[in-house]
Amino acid sequence: MDYAEAKEKIISELSKKKGKTKFYFNDLAKILDAKPRDAKKIVNQLIQEQVLEFWSSGSTSMYGLKGAGKQAGAEGE
Amino acid sequence: MPKHETPMLDQLETGPWPSFVSDIKQEAASRAKNERNVEFQIPEDVCDDLLGVLELSYKHGRTHWKHGGIVGVFGYGGGVIGRYCDQPEMFPGVAHFHTMRVNQPGGKFYSTEYLRQLCDLWEFRGSGITNMHGSTGDIIFLGTTTPQLEEIFYEMTHNLNQDLGGSGSNLRTPSDCIGQARCEYACYDTQALCYDLTQTYQDELHRPAFPYKFKFKFDGCPNCCVASIARADISFIGTWRDDIRIDQEAVQAYIGGELKPNAGAHMGRDWGPFDIQKEVIDLCPTGCMWMDGKELKIDNKECTRCMHCINVMPRALRIGNDRGLSMLVGAKAPILDGAQMSTMLVPFIKAEEPYDDIKEIIEKIWDWWMEEGKNRERLGELMKRQGFQKLLEVTELQPDPRMVQEPRSNPYIFWKEEEVEGGWSRDINEFRKYHQR
Amino acid sequence: MAFISSGYNPKEPMKDRITDIGPRKYDEFYPPVIAKNKGKWLYHEYLQPGVYVHVSETGDEVYTVRVGGARLMSVSHIREICEIADKHCGGYIRFTTRNNIEFMVDSKDKVQPLVDDLMGRKFSGGSYKFPVGGTGAGITNIIHTQGWIHCHTPATDASGPVKATMDVLFDDFRDMRLPAHLRVSLACCLNMCGAVHCSDIAILGYHRKPPMLDHEYLDKMCEIPLAIAACPTAAIKPAKVELPGGEKVNSVAVNNARCMFCGNCYTMWGDGIVIMAGGKVSNRISAPKFSKVVVAFLPNEPPRWPKTTETIKKIVEAYANDARKYERLGEWAERIGWERFFEKCELEFTHHLIDDFRDPAF
Repeated sequence: MDYAEAKEKIISELSKKKGKTKFYFNDLAKILDAKPRDAKKIVNQLIQEQVLEFWSSGSTSMYGLKGAGKQAGAEGE
Repeated sequence: MPKHETPMLDQLETGPWPSFVSDIKQEAASRAKNERNVEFQIPEDVCDDLLGVLELSYKHGRTHWKHGGIVGVFGYGGGVIGRYCDQPEMFPGVAHFHTMRVNQPGGKFYSTEYLRQLCDLWEFRGSGITNMHGSTGDIIFLGTTTPQLEEIFYEMTHNLNQDLGGSGSNLRTPSDCIGQARCEYACYDTQALCYDLTQTYQDELHRPAFPYKFKFKFDGCPNCCVASIARADISFIGTWRDDIRIDQEAVQAYIGGELKPNAGAHMGRDWGPFDIQKEVIDLCPTGCMWMDGKELKIDNKECTRCMHCINVMPRALRIGNDRGLSMLVGAKAPILDGAQMSTMLVPFIKAEEPYDDIKEIIEKIWDWWMEEGKNRERLGELMKRQGFQKLLEVTELQPDPRMVQEPRSNPYIFWKEEEVEGGWSRDINEFRKYHQR
Repeated sequence: MAFISSGYNPKEPMKDRITDIGPRKYDEFYPPVIAKNKGKWLYHEYLQPGVYVHVSETGDEVYTVRVGGARLMSVSHIREICEIADKHCGGYIRFTTRNNIEFMVDSKDKVQPLVDDLMGRKFSGGSYKFPVGGTGAGITNIIHTQGWIHCHTPATDASGPVKATMDVLFDDFRDMRLPAHLRVSLACCLNMCGAVHCSDIAILGYHRKPPMLDHEYLDKMCEIPLAIAACPTAAIKPAKVELPGGEKVNSVAVNNARCMFCGNCYTMWGDGIVIMAGGKVSNRISAPKFSKVVVAFLPNEPPRWPKTTETIKKIVEAYANDARKYERLGEWAERIGWERFFEKCELEFTHHLIDDFRDPAF
């Protein structure tokens, strides 16, 4: 899968989920149907392009579409 | 006049142990005076408000912090932990109070020049309050606002040649013991290995793609001063496989009382004269030592390198010369299946640059855990769920009795088809030739 | 308070960006005597509590003076450490895993002036800034977590109970009279950011009430799937709840019987302290051990937690009086038996101490 296709797939799959805006890395790898190391390259590029953003509880990390979710408003200073 | 009254915290200013309350007050006063004319980038009274909110917690018996999840520096998924006060009107100085983890130097050695640069940066762009150090090992910068995060990161990387540490589902900042820098027990250069792996795995440290946190800790010997065996997903513990070096004259000096046992660590009480039989030979867990006239003998093949005899007589006994390390895997602290200690995976491996053998094992473990690990599952939990045999399979290591406390006590072995002669498929018609229905 | 830019441009975050450079290299910060003798050390010896010497095969010596630190430290305090290190130690310093500070000098005559200088410095409230000690068969600094100063799930404070405990144990920080070294650790909730589970004595903050639910705001403030995923025992389920006003909202329901009070999902009270004992990490004589719960609950008593410190003091004294030389606290307890341990430490054995979480220990 090339990058453009991967990007579109991530955006459309993540936008579909109702009421859920944070995803584990494994969820993304599953959407991309890729091995973790290959998925990581794509995910990192999506972060660089500000399509995705990190979310962290301190102990666990998750990913979401940039600006999505309830905390984005509260934390966007 | 302090900004907030803190009658409960004030009671922690007395007594001999260094008072963190006095220290925060000292910082509050220093910021108010501002003798260096610092253009503070976060509120000048941040330390006053920190004391205020802490006093409120003392009054309520509860925390007044909320966590935030989005803040960080661009492109990194770790190193910053968002923190907000739940009483921002009362304590505006700490309304936003994020933590930054800064990757500490090996062995936690510092020049004062460098420490001062860190202090200057953190006074200017943060609260001036730190942890030296956090539990994982990082330098912790405690409390700044969101707009300062990128500024601090920029100054740190451009002016101090310094990067952030890890948090979240990634490789956490590795940490090491003092090692060969100042310890005669160290069986490998803990700082060199720790630094090499930290640099090799920067991507894993900053960009989380693991199921959960992953920790490396480096202990130079089985005394385990950084507690790697209790808290690291991979514990690197120094060991040797030849003979303990014995200086028989020094042994006699301990027996004769000229040298103090245990390097003088028991000097606070009169324990009577040193008795090598009682204090060393009888306490050896494998019973592999004895006196042959005036000579101390060790059956080194039976030694498990527990360090007791060496700790008691450091001038007479020294670690062997054929040194390396053991890799133990799967420790973690809390919850789910409870605490787990690391378990032996590689009994002996040489620790020599560029450490390719070690990296090969690490990466095989990661490949398995990244594919098979459930969300928020530590390596030790995956090992329990899929079995230690699976770990041997993915790391392509041979089983060894040193990996288990004892062999299994149930015979319910899951044989694999390829292990059983002729496989599992049989010809029923051939069978029926000899056995009636 | 004018904003001063570092040079970073938020419109172009990738411009001139430096990443993945890691920490500073350790050998930049070695004092000369360490750089010269690394890997050549022959032996070490304690000279007095908090002071020890390492001797190299080159004949060089390094004298280390160890002082306790509250790991929560201001930059003013760190600058004072730097001032002392410049004056006595050629501008180098190190910290230990257990939050001690080590000042190193390369000859014996430099030791006493350094010790005197350190012990002479006090905070305005009267406490020592740099107490010398924490070596050998004594009690060194407590490793601990953040507590109420910065954490969002703590069941107790960290710096406060540590200060109160170290005040009570201070004589043993300054002495080496115990049968073996004794490690005390504190974690302010059962997530155990400070891995306290293998310590001679562990102080553990503990919640005892399941989470409080703010149904009206829950769906507005937090993402319900996240709260559900955060629960390690799967005690949280999604639920529709009717508010007193009749409005129906998305929220969660908690199976209280399954909750083990970790705090991952937020706001839970009924807090206090669990005392654990008998753990160790070294492989010396016996294998590493987990700490065991010996007091199921003590109340939070800010600012000085008297019941907690009194309990710890009792355990330390019973151990000091009864254990054999080299015996760690857990080894002592196993030799005399846990029945005798509770008797000698004057602790009550309650039903909470019998494991019913995962592995029955009876």
